[in-house]
This record gives sequence, C-alpha cells and structure tokens, in this order.
Amino acid sequence: MQTFLGLVSVLIVFVWLGGKQVFPLQPICDLRVLDHFVREARDSVVIMRGSRGGCGAMKSYFVPLTSVDFAFWEHIDVQELAVEVQTGLSLLVQALSTAMKAVSNSRLANALDNNISNIHSLSQILHSLDLQHARSTVLPDDSAPASTQTQEVSSLPELLQVQSSFLRGKVRLLLSAAPACQRQNS
Amino acid sequence: MYLLCKWMTKMRSNRLKIVFMLCLAFVTTGGQHFESKVAQLLQDETEHIKCFVEGKDLTCFWEEEEERNHIHDQYTFTYSYEKKNKMACAVSSLYLLASNKTILFCKLPKTPFFTTLDVQVLRDGRMLYTRSLNAENVLFLDPPRNLTVMSSGKEGQLNVSWLPPLLKYMDDSMIYEVRYAVDGSNMGKVEVIKVSTRLVLLGLQSNTRYKVWVRVKPDGVAYKGYWSAWTEPVFGVTPPSDVDPLIVLLVIFIGLILCLLSLTVILSHHKFLLKKLWPDIPTPEHKFPGLFTVYKGDFKEWMSHNNGSMWGRSVPVYTEELPSPLEVLSEVSLTSHGTSQREERKPVEEDEEKESERSDSGLTDRWRDPPHAHWLMEQLRALQENPESRSQSSLLQSHDTYVTLNQGDNEQQVDDVFEETLPLQTLFTTAGTSSLGTSHSDLGSLQQSSGSGRLSSQSSFEYPNHTWPPKGPGYAYMAVADSGVSMDYSPMSSSRIAELGKHRMYTNDYKNEIFPHKWPLSGQYIKSG
Repeated sequence: MQTFLGLVSVLIVFVWLGGKQVFPLQPICDLRVLDHFVREARDSVVIMRGSRGGCGAMKSYFVPLTSVDFAFWEHIDVQELAVEVQTGLSLLVQALSTAMKAVSNSRLANALDNNISNIHSLSQILHSLDLQHARSTVLPDDSAPASTQTQEVSSLPELLQVQSSFLRGKVRLLLSAAPACQRQNS
Repeated sequence: MYLLCKWMTKMRSNRLKIVFMLCLAFVTTGGQHFESKVAQLLQDETEHIKCFVEGKDLTCFWEEEEERNHIHDQYTFTYSYEKKNKMACAVSSLYLLASNKTILFCKLPKTPFFTTLDVQVLRDGRMLYTRSLNAENVLFLDPPRNLTVMSSGKEGQLNVSWLPPLLKYMDDSMIYEVRYAVDGSNMGKVEVIKVSTRLVLLGLQSNTRYKVWVRVKPDGVAYKGYWSAWTEPVFGVTPPSDVDPLIVLLVIFIGLILCLLSLTVILSHHKFLLKKLWPDIPTPEHKFPGLFTVYKGDFKEWMSHNNGSMWGRSVPVYTEELPSPLEVLSEVSLTSHGTSQREERKPVEEDEEKESERSDSGLTDRWRDPPHAHWLMEQLRALQENPESRSQSSLLQSHDTYVTLNQGDNEQQVDDVFEETLPLQTLFTTAGTSSLGTSHSDLGSLQQSSGSGRLSSQSSFEYPNHTWPPKGPGYAYMAVADSGVSMDYSPMSSSRIAELGKHRMYTNDYKNEIFPHKWPLSGQYIKSG
C-alpha cells in the first residue's frame, strides 16, 4: 500500500511537470524549413496545372489576405502579426481540406494533404517562438477576420496561389521578425 | 521623388532652385542604377509592361513607340490587387541616351507584396497593355557593395568578400555569382554561392593579377527577380609560388646523407668498383718477367737472356734441327744381296738367337726379326769396311735411313700388295761412316725397341735427299719425323697387316705426302717381318 502511494505520488509529480512545461521548446528560427514548405506548396500548383480536372468543382474558399506592405510592416506589432498569421493558417487548412475532398486526381490530393501537414508543422514552429501569449491579449474575433482579414476565392488555382503567397510573405516575415529569432541572431 | 523634382523645377525661386539641384543630385545618384536597370530590362524582358522592384518600390515602364511631345499626358497607368478598386499612378518619361529611346514609367507609392497585382496602361482612355504579376517575383537588386579581393597567403588562392545590397528581410534569400579572369584575358570563370558573402577562389595561377566581379539575385524560394548588374572590377594578385622552407631543408638534409653514404661505399670498395667498372686489360707480362720493361718487347733478346729458366720446365724445347721424317717401307727384297747376306746370316743367327734371348721381354712375336736387325748391323759394318758396296746403293744417301716392314713370312700375304722388292744392298747407303755410325746407333735403338714397332724418340732417321723409286699402292709407308714424339704404330704391325691381308687394305697405309718428291734410296733398312 505504501509502495502504491509512492508510485502515485511520483506519477502526479510527472504530470504536473508536464503541464508546467519545465522543458521549453527550442525556437525554430531556421527559415530553410519554411522554404521547404514553400517549395512543396509550389509543387501543388505545378501538379494542378498538369492534371486534368484540376480546377474541379468551383467552390468558394475563404482565405487570408496575403499582401504585405513593407513600410507598414516595419512598424507593425509582432504579436498582432502572430495572431494574424495563426488565423490565416487555420483558414488555409480549412480551405485545403475542403478542396482535397473535391479533387479526383490522387496525386493532387496527396499534394494537398502534404500541404495541410506542412501548415500544421508551421503552427508548431510558431508555437516554439513563444508567441502564444499574444493570443491571450488578442481575442480572436470570428466575425472580424472574415471581413477584414479574409478574402474569397472561387477556384483551386487561386487557393493554391494564396497559400504560396501567404507562406512566403506574412509567415516568413513573422519568423524573421520573431523576438526569439532576433535574440539568436544578435 | 522624380515627380516632385519636376514640379519643383517649375518654381522659379532661388530656394526652389537649390532644392531642385538637390533633387537632381538625388535623382542622378539613384538614376544611374535606375537607367541601367531600365536599359537591361528593355533588352531582356519580353512583356510590354516591364516591371521591377527597386528597394521596396515597384516601377513599371513601357517603351514609347513614337516620339511625341508631352506624351505623358495621354497615358494612364492603373493597378489593383486583392480585388480592390483600381488606383492610378503618375506617368513620367525618360530619354535613354545609350539606346536613343524614350520610356514611360510609373512608380507605385505603396507596393503590395505577396499578392497579385493587375496593372494596365491606357492611352487616350483605351487599354494599351495589361499585366498580372506579383511584386516579390520581379526584384531587381542593386549590385553588391564593398567588393574586396585579398590574397590568402596560400598559393593560387584569393579571398573575395562583399556586402549584400541594402534590403531588409532578404539577406538570407540571395544568391551571388562571382566572375574572375586573368587581367587582360577575356576567358573568365563563374562561381555561384548562396547566402554567404565570402568566397575563396582556388586553382589560380601563381603571381598573377586577376579581375573579379560579383552580382546578386534572389534565390527564387521566397523572392524572385533578375540578376543585378556586375560590380566594378576589383583587382587582386595571387601570391608567388614558394616552396615550404621546411621541405627545402629536409630535401637538402636527405641529399647530404645520401651523398655521405655513397662516398663511404665508394671509398671502402673503390678497388672493387674500379675493377668492375674499368677492368684491367690482361697482359701476359707476368709470364714474361722483364719482357716489356727491360727488353722493350724484344722477344729475341728476352729469350736469349732467359732461355733455360722458363721454358725447360713446362714447354719442351725445340732445337733448330728440322724434323726429319722417316719413311718406312713395308717390304723389301733381299734377293740381289742374298748371297752375301746368307753367307753372313749364319754366323749372325747364332748371335741373333742370343740376342733374342737377351731381348726385352716386351718383345712380341711381331718383332720376328731381331736376327734381321742384327744382320743389318753386320751389313752396315760390312758396308763401312767395303766401300765398293756403296756404289750399289746409289739411291741412298749417307744420311738417309729407311725402315721397311716385311710381311713375306705370312703366306696370306697378298703378293700383289708388295710387288716391288728392292735389293737390300740398294737400300743401304754408301755414305760416310758418320751416318752409318749414327745409323748403327739408331739401329741399336731400333733393335731395342719393342716388337710392337715403337720408335723411340732417340731415333734420328733422316729423310733421303735422293729420289725414291715409286712404290706401289700396296706398300705401307711410314714417315717418322724426328719430332721426339713416340709413335705407336701397333695397328701398323705386320701381324695386323697380315690379318687384314685378306682384305687387301692396310690401316697403316701412309703415303709420303709430306715430301711428295721421290726419295733416293739411302740409309738403312730394317726389315721386320
């Protein structure tokens, strides 16, 4: 009985430590990982152009805005940018999942599935940059992003183009401007 | 900024003029790159609307087809993105001196990146050109800055370093191209390097002056664009090829050691090596002491002084006396001299019997006529005492001696072989006593010789000077030369001849070939049967 209680106490300690995250994640600041995801997003565009019925069903996809104004970005808040990026990534995952179900070409479907996995990995990378506290400050508003932070596209080629632009633009700028990565570089 | 300057030029105040000059200076500074980029895109870009991003601003231009005054008033440039409303951009003109062309351009005030831009050119309200592009794909960077070329100290190497163009967020997305060539040569090599702004050139010629250029372009992952212009060439000289001093010392040291070793070997075995490499010419001087040194090679002189010392031991001495071969006749006829011989035979026989008893035990049956030999001696004595018998032996000289081998006792003897028989007296010489004496002594020596017919070296048979009557082919001649060599003519014995008599061939058939002329009868005959 006493041994059992001891084991239970040890287990409780481990769970508590896991919750506290005593071992923080190392920030992933290597942009070559993002470049790898960007190339695979470009491959999907190439596969789509080469496959028949790539356009497939004409559906409306709500995708994030991708435009970047450097003049604007020099004075932007990193945390606000992090929120914007995370919201946009989630929108892209939803749109890509919907498109994958409607695509008949297996090769294109696999490419889209790969893109979805890459976006999940990007979320983990952004999480490693310790930007989550930004989420607590900025409450996600479902309505506002839909109007101001999103745009509607009507075809898969446009969706894939938006994905490529978003990854190369906002996500990359956030990674290069993250404070954790700035500390490593400096 | 350019439009602002153009507006300011319209103002005719001094203050504005100063501002104008400053603007011109600014435009000129930025214009050098701008004009070169425009000129390059005019050649490379195929689109009607040629756009590029310089810095963070997008500039789009198009070529003017005809020269017109105030052409910029008729053109309108619009752009839109993310399905927003179209926005207008002010059109400006620029005259390119190098290509003698006029272009119209527009620089967007706030360029949106990572989104699709739709640009349009309208002339007099009608669409002239249109294009959709992404601004991050048409980057036209400035050339790299601060290019330096330095010697690394190592042979055939140069260190090249530079700074990227001033751009934010793009330092890790750039790719560089380094071009280098020997100064004065048109053949250059290109090295591509990503992200890094340093490069070590390898495999260069030593002590050579090189020219180096660098240009930059976005790597194509996040940003795309055109190659920038080459930087101004920077010169660098490769270091001269030098040998490592340590290697030189080691080589010298090893060379010295090898030299010492070889010298030691040569000195210790110089005699052996000299003998092998330069062998002495063999000379017989050691056999002839003093021949070359004292007598200057005069062999006669040397011989006269060293006659008996050297030659008597090993080499038999040859006297100047010429060898005199002995001719032996196989058969001789005693019929003409028979009476006198028979008369003298009888008293001789007794002596001969005694002689035979006293004869050498080595005498064989082949020597059947020791009485004949004794009888010959008696005959010789008789000849000495009776000079008239000499006349009958005209054929023989006093110094000539002959020996005949008689095979008459054997009935199997072939008569036709021994056809000619000569009277004994004719065979005897009538010369002086000296020769007889010598003959006598020779006879004695002959007498003592063995029955096998060996002649000792002491025999001094001389060759007759007179002609000798020709002999038949059946006669067996033997020319015995006084060469001091004992000749064993055992196969020539009469018994053997008798054995072969049936075959009418004689193994001891010697022809008198040495002296082909006829010999007179002289000397003595020793009849052996």
